[in-house]
Amino acid sequence: MFWLAEGLIYRSQESSFHSLDPRTKLFFSIMLFSMSLLSNTIPEFIIILSVILFIGLVSKVLKRMSKTIVFSISFLVMIFIINVLVGYDIIFSIIVSLRFIAVVSSSSIFFLTSSPDELELVMKSFRLPYDLIFAFVTAVRFVPVIMLDALQILDSQRSRGLEIEKGNLMKRIKNYLPVLVPLIVQSIIRSEELAEAMESRAYGFSKKKTSYYSLHLRKRDYLAFILCLIFIIQFILIIYLLHI
Amino acid sequence: METLAPIIQFVDFSFSYSNSSSPILKNVNLGINEGEFILLVGTSGCGKSTLLRCVNGLIPHLYNGTYQGKVIVDGEIVSEKNVSELATKVGFVFQNPENQIFMFSVEKDIVFGLENIGVEREEIRRRLDWVLKSLNIEHLRYRAPYELSDGQKQRVAIAGTLVMHPKILILDEPTSLLDPRTAYEFILTLKRLNKELGITVIVVEHRIDLLTNVADRIVVMDNGKILHDGSLKDIIRLKDLHLHGVAVPPIVALQNSLSESKIHLPNFCLNVKDFAKMIKKEASNR
Amino acid sequence: MIEIDSLYFKYPTAKDYILKNINLKIGLGEVVAIMGSNGSGKTTLIKHFNGLLKPNQGSVKVFGKDTHDESVASLSKKVGLVFQNPGHQIFSDTVWNELAFALKNFGLEEEVIKKRVKWALEFFNLTQYKDTSPLLLSGGEKKRLCLASVLAWNPNYVVLDEPTVGQDFLQKEKLREVIKMLITQDKSIVIVSHDVEFVWLLQPRLVLLSNGEIVKDDKCANVFRDKVSLERCGIINPQFVELQEELSFLISSPPIDVLESKTIFLEFLKGGI
Repeated sequence: MFWLAEGLIYRSQESSFHSLDPRTKLFFSIMLFSMSLLSNTIPEFIIILSVILFIGLVSKVLKRMSKTIVFSISFLVMIFIINVLVGYDIIFSIIVSLRFIAVVSSSSIFFLTSSPDELELVMKSFRLPYDLIFAFVTAVRFVPVIMLDALQILDSQRSRGLEIEKGNLMKRIKNYLPVLVPLIVQSIIRSEELAEAMESRAYGFSKKKTSYYSLHLRKRDYLAFILCLIFIIQFILIIYLLHI
Repeated sequence: METLAPIIQFVDFSFSYSNSSSPILKNVNLGINEGEFILLVGTSGCGKSTLLRCVNGLIPHLYNGTYQGKVIVDGEIVSEKNVSELATKVGFVFQNPENQIFMFSVEKDIVFGLENIGVEREEIRRRLDWVLKSLNIEHLRYRAPYELSDGQKQRVAIAGTLVMHPKILILDEPTSLLDPRTAYEFILTLKRLNKELGITVIVVEHRIDLLTNVADRIVVMDNGKILHDGSLKDIIRLKDLHLHGVAVPPIVALQNSLSESKIHLPNFCLNVKDFAKMIKKEASNR
Repeated sequence: MIEIDSLYFKYPTAKDYILKNINLKIGLGEVVAIMGSNGSGKTTLIKHFNGLLKPNQGSVKVFGKDTHDESVASLSKKVGLVFQNPGHQIFSDTVWNELAFALKNFGLEEEVIKKRVKWALEFFNLTQYKDTSPLLLSGGEKKRLCLASVLAWNPNYVVLDEPTVGQDFLQKEKLREVIKMLITQDKSIVIVSHDVEFVWLLQPRLVLLSNGEIVKDDKCANVFRDKVSLERCGIINPQFVELQEELSFLISSPPIDVLESKTIFLEFLKGGI
């Protein structure tokens, strides 16, 4: 389970890409994501994937990005096989599979290089409702805590003779109840305690909030935008030339 | 001489939770003056946690039930104000250190409350720097919650409420999960805030021994009512206090037991050092 | 007999060892308290007693069998762990079923299960709740239920992880009585606790942990004399130990409880009056 998490969870790191304003990083991701959806030929995908690879190298997240891709290989193979079986030709099936990798890895770039703090600020800058933002932040903050809870619950129940590895499928499913019920109950209790704490710190005082932190676009962000635009223009030109 | 109105007042106050037929608080009358350091004790289920929640408005706003009587905090009637509005007057520190830190870093979590009430950035910075220094947690400024020990988390929790400049600080069994030394340091921090800033402090604690030298006044609750209310030194000598769940420190229990056997000592001491001094004096007088 | 030999342990993702060179033997009928500051490795250590955790180096043997070779379930039959948070284990629809859970897992017969559950209900004053949902019990009752569900299967070792947290005086007294009763039944009790006064009353063997190493392992009266070790482990002296140190001319060894201390002072004070 850990390698799925590896590909999506932010880890603190230093790189020129990491230091960009999260909105810039988001722009990169969205641009690559859209290009992946709009492209139709193998050369286009080779270019897109090389750019993604390059960004992955610069931001030093390549290793973890590749882990997500490895995880999605099974889907990839499935997509490929289904396409072929349904009757599409091999080239088309390859393109569909490549599109899948491009879409997954371009989104993964944003999440791997942006901390939850930055995600929060991006959402704030888009004026999303604060309740939604706060729900997101709380979820990310407490996911590791809930995972720890689950492990402790498992320890308690195993100490009472619960053996989750044993038995047929029905028994195994039944064995998850002693773990799930306490987990759910604890999560509910946790959310009640959180609600108390939130209100006690003036959550909901007024719609007008100040923000101690803010996002600022800097020279490097403008530079990155320009590079991005140049890339898009060149990409369109190349494709146009290839089609002639 | 002018007597000031108490900063917290319960007037003929009763409350029952909506899912229960019997009231958890029965006709409570209690006045707390500004600057006091109050220890609130009683058996589990006597209503002390409920009482605390009536001060900052969690009851009645977050909990449904039958609410009778009045609770007045710093001149405002609690039931007429939102919890978020009262948050600038009353800070609340809960038992579980984990569930009161929402953000990914200590700094972010501390400014949370100030952002909510719309304090401007410069002022936030000033208060943040001040509270980090006050509680000796400057070195934790950029840490994530999972990197903190429970004791550190509790200090961060106080910081998050203190930064709102409340007049009253309420703590619900804040040292339950802390080891004795960390717990004791935590209580000393509270006392310092109480003395230096004049903040009224109300602590619910089972570990009385940590607070014998620190609390001015003790309120003992039993079954929804206030049983005893007075100075710590007076109340702790009462017989049968342990029947109300109060863990009387051994040195106090010893003196109570001696006075029951009609042995009279010159002083009543709340800690071992004072008691030992007294006995040594007795010994030298012979 | 639990025998721990040169135990080293670290979690797979961690850099440093959380337990280092632990050597510990706990025999039947012993009362042992394990104390230390938060993060010293106490809970990690007790998880080795029933095989939840297995050592990276060294060995843990329970009744002669290495924990590497036994399942947690079979070790738990002999070593019962009662964890700190009842919320981490309560899940059944009735108190009866909650108590019967472990017994069913251990494959006991229906008749035996009935007997044991009945005994647990009576002993812990939970009979009126036998058909109630355990989630509706109060905090103190839930803690009793968790202890009851472990004692229901009659393990030789009863390991309690911070049993006094959040408990008022009366609840702690009840717990002390249960422990005293268990001692008379020749069970071994291991208690991890911060509560020095509670531990002092039990007069156990005291094992001090600091940074994953055993710093002291001796009768508690001797351990509490070692100021340096106590400081390292974040532990405060019980009041009667402090009293004996202050009044060493009057008291030769620290009194265990109020009654004993009263006798000492009655003698002294009556003599002068």
